[in-house]
Amino acid sequence: MTRKQRRLTVIGAALAVIGVAAGLVLFAMRDTIVFFYGPSEIAAKGVQPGTRLRIGGLVKEGTLQRGPDQTVRFEVTDTAKDVPVRYRGLLPDLFREGQGVVAEGVLEADGVFKADSVLAKHDEKYMPREVADALKKQGVWQHAPEKTGATPASAQK
Amino acid sequence: MAMFVWIVLALLTGAAVFAVLLPLSRQAPAASAPGETATDAAFYRTQLAEIERDAERGLIDPADAETARVEAARRLLGAARRDKATEHAGGGASLRRRRVAALLALVGIPLLSLPLYLRLGQPDMPSMPLSARVDRARDPGQIDLQEAMARIEAHLAQKPDDGQGHEVIAPVYMNAGRYDDAARAWSNAIRILGETPRRLENYGEALVASNNGIVSADARQAFDSALKIDPATVKARFYRALASEQEGDAQAAIAAYRALASQAPAGSALAATLNARLASLGAPPADTADSPAGAIAAMPEGERMAAIRGMVENLSARLAQDGSDVEGWIRLVRSYAVLGEPDKARDALARGRAALSGDEAGRGRLDSLGRELNIGGS
Amino acid sequence: MIVEAGHYALVLAFALSLVLAVVPMWGAAARDPALMAVARPAAFAMLVMVALSYGALTWAYVGSDFSVMNVVQNSHSMKPLAYKISGVWANHEGSMLLWVLILALFAGLVAARGGRMPARLLSNVLAVQGAVAAAFLLFILTTSNPFARVAPAPFEGDGLNPILQDPGLAIHPPLLYLGYVGFSIAFSFAVGALIEGRIDAVWARFVRPWTLTAWCFLTLGIAMGSYWAYYELGWGGWWFWDPVENASLMPWLAGTALLHSTVVMEKRDALKVWTMLLSILAFSLSLIGTFLVRSGVLTSVHSFASDPARGVFILAILVVFIGGALTLFAWRAPVLRQGGVFAPVSREGALVLNNLLLATACATVFVGTLYPLALEAVTGWWSPDNPSKISVGAPFFNATFLPLAFPLMLAIPFGQSLAWKRGDLLGVAQRLAFAIAVGVVVAIVILALTVGGPVLAPVGVGLGVYLILGSATEIATRAWRRGAGLGVMLRRAAGLPRSAWGTALSHAGVGVTVIGIAATAWGVESIVTLQPGQSTRLGDYTVTLEAVTPRNGPDYRETVARLRVTRDGQSLGVLEPGKRVMVGRSMPTSEAGLMTLGLGQVYASVGEIEPNAAGLRLYWKPMVLLIWLGAVVMALGGGLSLLDRRARIGAPAPARAAVPAPAE
Repeated sequence: MTRKQRRLTVIGAALAVIGVAAGLVLFAMRDTIVFFYGPSEIAAKGVQPGTRLRIGGLVKEGTLQRGPDQTVRFEVTDTAKDVPVRYRGLLPDLFREGQGVVAEGVLEADGVFKADSVLAKHDEKYMPREVADALKKQGVWQHAPEKTGATPASAQK
Repeated sequence: MAMFVWIVLALLTGAAVFAVLLPLSRQAPAASAPGETATDAAFYRTQLAEIERDAERGLIDPADAETARVEAARRLLGAARRDKATEHAGGGASLRRRRVAALLALVGIPLLSLPLYLRLGQPDMPSMPLSARVDRARDPGQIDLQEAMARIEAHLAQKPDDGQGHEVIAPVYMNAGRYDDAARAWSNAIRILGETPRRLENYGEALVASNNGIVSADARQAFDSALKIDPATVKARFYRALASEQEGDAQAAIAAYRALASQAPAGSALAATLNARLASLGAPPADTADSPAGAIAAMPEGERMAAIRGMVENLSARLAQDGSDVEGWIRLVRSYAVLGEPDKARDALARGRAALSGDEAGRGRLDSLGRELNIGGS
Repeated sequence: MIVEAGHYALVLAFALSLVLAVVPMWGAAARDPALMAVARPAAFAMLVMVALSYGALTWAYVGSDFSVMNVVQNSHSMKPLAYKISGVWANHEGSMLLWVLILALFAGLVAARGGRMPARLLSNVLAVQGAVAAAFLLFILTTSNPFARVAPAPFEGDGLNPILQDPGLAIHPPLLYLGYVGFSIAFSFAVGALIEGRIDAVWARFVRPWTLTAWCFLTLGIAMGSYWAYYELGWGGWWFWDPVENASLMPWLAGTALLHSTVVMEKRDALKVWTMLLSILAFSLSLIGTFLVRSGVLTSVHSFASDPARGVFILAILVVFIGGALTLFAWRAPVLRQGGVFAPVSREGALVLNNLLLATACATVFVGTLYPLALEAVTGWWSPDNPSKISVGAPFFNATFLPLAFPLMLAIPFGQSLAWKRGDLLGVAQRLAFAIAVGVVVAIVILALTVGGPVLAPVGVGLGVYLILGSATEIATRAWRRGAGLGVMLRRAAGLPRSAWGTALSHAGVGVTVIGIAATAWGVESIVTLQPGQSTRLGDYTVTLEAVTPRNGPDYRETVARLRVTRDGQSLGVLEPGKRVMVGRSMPTSEAGLMTLGLGQVYASVGEIEPNAAGLRLYWKPMVLLIWLGAVVMALGGGLSLLDRRARIGAPAPARAAVPAPAE
C-alpha cells in the first residue's frame, strides 16, 4: 500500500467507527431517553399509556398502603394533581409521607403509574432537584406543616 | 502564646522564601541538569540496546530487529541535529532576570501571604482539641455542665461498657432535653448493671419524653418490669396511670391517680401534677397523705406554673447557647404560646429563625408553627 | 495554634504555586538556567506547605477541635479514629484540600525524578502544574476554606454522614483522586511540550510512567467506588451509569487510550498530535468530573456543594485550563513534526483502532452524561417555566457503549500479538486459534446447558475466556522456541520484560471483569416478607429468617435481621442485614448483609421492619466478585509494567541487563 492509501485506510476506519457511534447515539436517544414530569404535567400533556417516564413530587399524606409481598401503593402529588403509583420492592430508607420522591416506570392504561424504581431524597436536608422544581412550579415549595401535638407537661416533669 | 504563633508564621514564610531564593543564589545552577542532546541520545541508545537484547534472545525476529535498529538510529541522528540547531538560540543566564525573580520571592511571597491570611485567618484563636478542653474542665472551680457531659461522653466512647457512666449521664441528658440519648443511656445502664426499679422507671420516662408524652409499648414494658420488682415504684405507677388515660380508660386512670395521691406529701410537685391530671379528667382533687385537699388547692397551681416556667427558662437558656436544635425551638415557641405569652413566643420564634439561618428545613418548620399558632412569622 | 499554622501554610502554598507557575516558565522561555532551577525547590516547598496544612487539618479532626467549623460539621468526638482521619476528606472542603495535596505530591514526585529530564521541559511541566495548583488553592481559600473557625466552640460535632462512614468509601476518594490528579501530569507534560514546541519519543517515555500510575489508581478507585455502591446503597447493583460514576469512567477511558497511544509514540514516533490531544482531554475530563461532582449540578449522593459560587468558580477553572490548553494545542499542533504513517495491519494499527474505539466510547458516555444537563439549560433558556427534563439511564449506555466495547475486546488479543510496523493477521489468527476455539466452545456449551436463559451471558463468558487465554497465548508465544524444553521455555517466560507480563495481566484482567459482568445475568432476585422461622428459596440456596433483633454499636443503634443461609440442608452461615440509626442523626441507613460463597455472593438488605416480620430483598449473585477482581488484576498489571526497568526513565541509566540471559 502507498502512503496515501494507508492514510486513507486509517481515516476511513475512523469515520466508520464515528459514524456507527453517532448512529447508535441517535438511535438510543430516540428509544431510551426518559422524560421527567410532575403530576400536573402528566395531566396537561396527556401522556400516552405505556410511555416510560419519571415522575416526581411529594408522597401524599395518608395515601401509603402496604399490600402483601411488599407491594405498596401511594400517590405522588404536586398539590394540584395526584398520580397513583404502584410499586413492588423495598422502599428507600428515606421514603416517607409528605416527603419528596422520584419514581421511574410506566403509566398504565388505568392511569396508575407502575414504578420499577423509587428514589427518595438522599439526606435530611436534601430534596431531589427535579422534585423541588416541579413543586416550585406549583408554588408549594414548603414542607408540610408540623403535626406534633402539644406535649402533656406532666410527662416531662 | 500569641507571640509564639507569629514566630511560627514568620518561620514558615522564611522557609518559603528561602526555597525560591536558594536556587537563584547558586552560581552554576544548571550543572546538574543534562543537556537535551544528552537525554535524547541516551534514550535512543537505550532503545537500541533493548532491540539488541530482544533480538539476541530471539524475542523478535532478525528482520524486524534490523528495521527497528535502523529506525532508532535514524531518529538518534535527527534528534542530535535538531538540538544543535536550537541549543544556542539566545538566552543564557542574566543577572537582571535573576534579581527580578529574587525580588519577587523576597517581597512577593510575604506581601501576598500575610494580608491574605490576615483577611481569612484568626491568628489569636488557639487550637482547642477536646482533650485539652476537658482537662481544663477537671478544675472543679470552672466545671460546667456541658464540659462534664463531654467528659463523660468521651469516657464512654472509650469504655462503652461502663454502666456507672451511663447511669450518671442519663439524668443529665434528661435535663438537657436530649430524651433519646437519655433513653439510650438508661437502656445501656440496664443492660450492663441489671434491672432495678429506679433504672427501669427512668428509662420508661425517657422513652415517654422522647415520644412527646405518649406512653409507648416499650415504655410500658419498662414500667411493668419495674412494678414487678417493686409494686410501690411511684413513677412507674404514675406513667401506668397515664397510659391508661391515653388509652381512654379514664376510670382506671382516676383510680390510680387517687391511689398515688393518697401517698404523696401535700404540696409536693407530684401531688400537684396528680391533681392537674385529675382535673383534666374532670375528677375532683384527691386527698393527699397528710393534709386536707382544700388547704393546698391554691398552692399546686402556682407551684406547677413556677415549675413549668423554670423548665421553659432553662430551655430558653440552653437554646441561647446552642441554637441548632430545631425541636428545642419548636418546643420553646409552643410553650410560650401555651403559657399565654404571645410576645415571648414571637420573640423566641424570631431568635430561632436567626439561630437556624443555615437550616432551611428547620426555619420552614418554625414558620409553619408560627402560622399555626397565629403569631406571625414570614 | 497548629490550626492557624496550617491555615497560613495553605496561604503560603498559594503564593509558592504562583511563583512556580511564573518563574520557571519565564526561565524556560528565556533559556535562563538560574530561573529554571527555581522549579524543583519551589515544587518541593509547595508540597511541604500543602502537606503541613493537610496535617494540621487532620490533627484538628483527630483531636476533635470543634473550634474548626469543618470539624464541627463533619466529625463527632465518638467517631472511631479511622473515621476521624477519613472524615477529613469525606466533605467538600477537606476533599478539595486532598485534591490539591495530591496535585502537589505529583509535582513533587516529578521534581524529585526530574533530574534526568531536559531542563526546559521540566520547568514548563512544573510551571503548568503550579498554575493548576494555584487555581485550586485560590478556590479553596476563597470559597471552601476548611480552616474557618467558630467561636464559641461547640462541645460536640454534627457527626459524619453515616452513609460515608464506611471503610470502602474511606479509601475510595484518595484512590480516585490519585487517578484524576495523576492525569494532571500528562496534561502538564503536554502543555509544557506545546509551549516548548518540541515533542518526540523521549517525551512519550517520560510521560508514560505517570500516566500508568494515574491509570492504576483510577482503575482501583473506580472498582472501589463500584463495590461501595454495591454493598452500601442496598440496591444490589454495581454500576448505575450515574453521572458521578460516568465522571470517573470518562477520564479512565481517555486515560486508557492515552496509555496505548504513548506506546505508539515511544516506539514509532507517531500519533504525536493525537497523544497531545488525549493528554489534555484525560485531565480535562478529570476536571469536568470534579466539576460535576463538586458543583452540585447533579442530583446525586455525591453533591456536597450547594453553594453556587463554588460551581461558578470551578467552571471558570475548567474554562481557563481546558480552553487554554486546547487553544494552545490548535495553535501549536501544526508545528509538530508529524511522524510516519503506518500499515493498518500492525501493532500500531491495532493500537490506533483501540484509541479510536476508546475515544468514541468515551464520547458516547460524555454525550449521555451531559445531554440532559445541556437540554435542560437550553430549553430552560428558551422557555424558563418549562425546561425539558430527561434522564439518560442504563438503556442508553447499554445501547451505545456496549456495541463499541465488544469489538474492542475482540481486538485486544490481536493487538498485543501483532508485530510492530507490519503484522501478519493470518499468522496471529493461527496463534490465537486455541483461545478463539476455547472461547467459542465455552460459549456454545454454556448456551446449550442454559437453554432458555439469557443469551448474551454465555457470549460474554466466552469472550472473557478468549481474552484470558489470548493473554496467556501471548506470553507462551514469546517464551516458545522451536525444540526447546519446558524448563528453558519457563525460564524464557520469566525472563520476559515485566512490561510484557504487565500487558498480558492487564488484558487478562479485562477478561476476568467481562466474565463477572456477563454472569450477573444469571443472578436471582427475590423480594419477600418473612416472619421469624420462615424460609425462602434463592437459586440453590435456602434463606431462613431466624430473628429480628435490636443491637447497639459504638455510635449507632440498629435493628438486625438474622438470616441463615443453607444449601441442601447444610448451614453455610448467617447474614445480618440491618437498619442503622447513627447517634445524632434521625435518618436510618440500610446495611446490606453479604456472604461470599466461592466467587459469588448472597446479598440481603432489609426494607420495612414490622413487628415480628421483615421485608427482605435477597439476591444470589454468581461470580460477582470477578468484576472487581478483574479490575484489581488490571491495576496489578499496570503496576508490574511500572516496575519494568524500561519505565524508569531511560536516560543515562546503565543498560547492562540484570535480567538473567536464558541459556541457549
